[in-house]
Amino acid sequence: MKAIFLRTLSLPETFLSCLIITLFALISQLDPSFLQWEVQRSLSSHIWELAIIAIPMTLIILTAGIDLSVGSIMSLSAITAGMLFQAGSSMPLACGAALLTGTLGGFLNGFFIARMRVHPLIITLATMATYRGIAEGISQAKPVSGFPAGFTRLGQDEWLNLPFAAWVFFIIFVSVFWVIHRRALGLHVYAIGNNDTASRFSGIHVDRILIGLYTFSGFASALAALLFVARRNTAKADVGMGIELGVITAVVIGGVSIFGGRGTLVGTCLGLLLIHETREFVSWHWNRDEFILIVLGLLLIVSVVFQKLLRHKQNSS
Amino acid sequence: MITYLLRHRAIGLFLFIGLLTTVVSWINPAFLSAQNLRDIAVQAAPICIISCGVMLVLVAGEIDISVGSMMGVLAASMGIMVSASRAQLPPHVAIALTLLIGIGMGLFNGLLVAYAGVPSIIVTLGMLTALRGLTEIIMNGAWITDLPEEIRFLGTGTILSVPLSLWTTAGVLAMTIWLIHRTPIGRRIYATGSNPQAAQLAGLSIKSIKLFVFAWTGLLTAVATLVSVPQLSVVDSGIGVGTELLVVTCVVVGGTSVNGGVGTLSGVLCGVALMTMISTVLIFLKLGEHATYWSRAIQGLFILGAILADHWISNHKK
Repeated sequence: MKAIFLRTLSLPETFLSCLIITLFALISQLDPSFLQWEVQRSLSSHIWELAIIAIPMTLIILTAGIDLSVGSIMSLSAITAGMLFQAGSSMPLACGAALLTGTLGGFLNGFFIARMRVHPLIITLATMATYRGIAEGISQAKPVSGFPAGFTRLGQDEWLNLPFAAWVFFIIFVSVFWVIHRRALGLHVYAIGNNDTASRFSGIHVDRILIGLYTFSGFASALAALLFVARRNTAKADVGMGIELGVITAVVIGGVSIFGGRGTLVGTCLGLLLIHETREFVSWHWNRDEFILIVLGLLLIVSVVFQKLLRHKQNSS
Repeated sequence: MITYLLRHRAIGLFLFIGLLTTVVSWINPAFLSAQNLRDIAVQAAPICIISCGVMLVLVAGEIDISVGSMMGVLAASMGIMVSASRAQLPPHVAIALTLLIGIGMGLFNGLLVAYAGVPSIIVTLGMLTALRGLTEIIMNGAWITDLPEEIRFLGTGTILSVPLSLWTTAGVLAMTIWLIHRTPIGRRIYATGSNPQAAQLAGLSIKSIKLFVFAWTGLLTAVATLVSVPQLSVVDSGIGVGTELLVVTCVVVGGTSVNGGVGTLSGVLCGVALMTMISTVLIFLKLGEHATYWSRAIQGLFILGAILADHWISNHKK
């Protein structure tokens, strides 16, 4: 009983929940108006794109990989949709092409990583420059705007009091959660992260799974790009600039080990929540955006140090 | 033949740069003018200086993606220290303090990686974010435009009609060569990266070696800031954004392995030269204005090319 209690206590999810509760307690003392539903909803409009990409990123980091190219895939997909729309194609076709472009971009990442056995950091660093470079080249760094109302409604309309993007996130989250926890594929993902070679010898289709995960990441990035373009009504080559760092920070704060094999989707969601609330509260209450970066950077380092210490304790007890 | 060139990355890259230069100067002879070559070299100098540090970090089996934000903090603090309307410290004191701040930030990275055991990509990702915020706090939304003459000289001055930043780069390169080939530290860095367990068993202090490479990178980032930022007429909080990616790209294109233990200075030097000349080459090829927007895509394709080359080599080894 005591052992189970200790184990639960040392889970990163428990640690994060405590942090989030502390944060909310602090907020309710300092500025209770921040916790109103209306305020929370209006501040959450931009988090869903990041959250959608965080799901495949969690799975990729669980396999001891990383995908730096998500922001650039967003850019390339947004530009694909924008340029096709500008060239006179219908919006559904442009969206379809954008999703296809993103998926293909992710597939190429996965193909290089699985087939050439090159470190994912290097491959996605290369495609990060290439994809955004292609987007810049095609669009000549000019913005496309004036999308039809039917499309921009996707980014601005609400359904049952939540933005459309939030529902997209929930649907993806629930289905991925089901696959990871109820299907063999979930175990395989953890197995690859724990020991790639052993997984290969035990008959897991490592290459196929890796290609699948990076393709999924590309698809999710394209989806996020479309939601972003619909929300802002502008497609430009700088869409998603730097988003990879935000996503990776959320996943790692959520307790997913950068060396793979350890972490959960729930942890990622808690990490996202913690980052989002911290960021929004700092800029809401103090109106000093520059503190956000320091807080987030230190939060990342401190939470990893803490999780390491907790695990150490658990192993020695 | 091709395998040989690809394996000796420096020679292959050098020939490729030669070929590229020949083609460009054939189309537009102005490319080889002393002024243009000097401009490219001055542009490459800070990247080259920082790459010397980051290469050793990669050789030691770690990574440092915080250098861009370190540059931001260093530029901001240097600006505040010397500016006539701010702290007004004497230039030599400000230079010394800037170098110390650089070493301090590098040590902080190194301590967290080596002694707290946090993965270097996490530490430096956190620092990349936090230090950019620190830069914005230091600058507080203002710009610094009144750098004194002595500091401006670091960026724009020449000795024997060669810019000071190039002398500095040469000095850093010489020191790095000496460090790698003539001191035990150099050998130990390579040993640590190629097989940490073996290095540990051989009695090397892996922790202090890792601490050293991060501190060294911090110092070199400070040096690069000192010779490049005074070239600008304005110091703002956006200095150094994206430098970390360019530096890692140059180092990797130059044949340094992210798995540690492998990397040559000559390869890195060619990587820096190739990556920094691309945008100038695109202008001199007279393809029109729209071609310059493709420079990032071409950089990316070069990295992919370098990866394919590595893949080719490992297949031919078998």
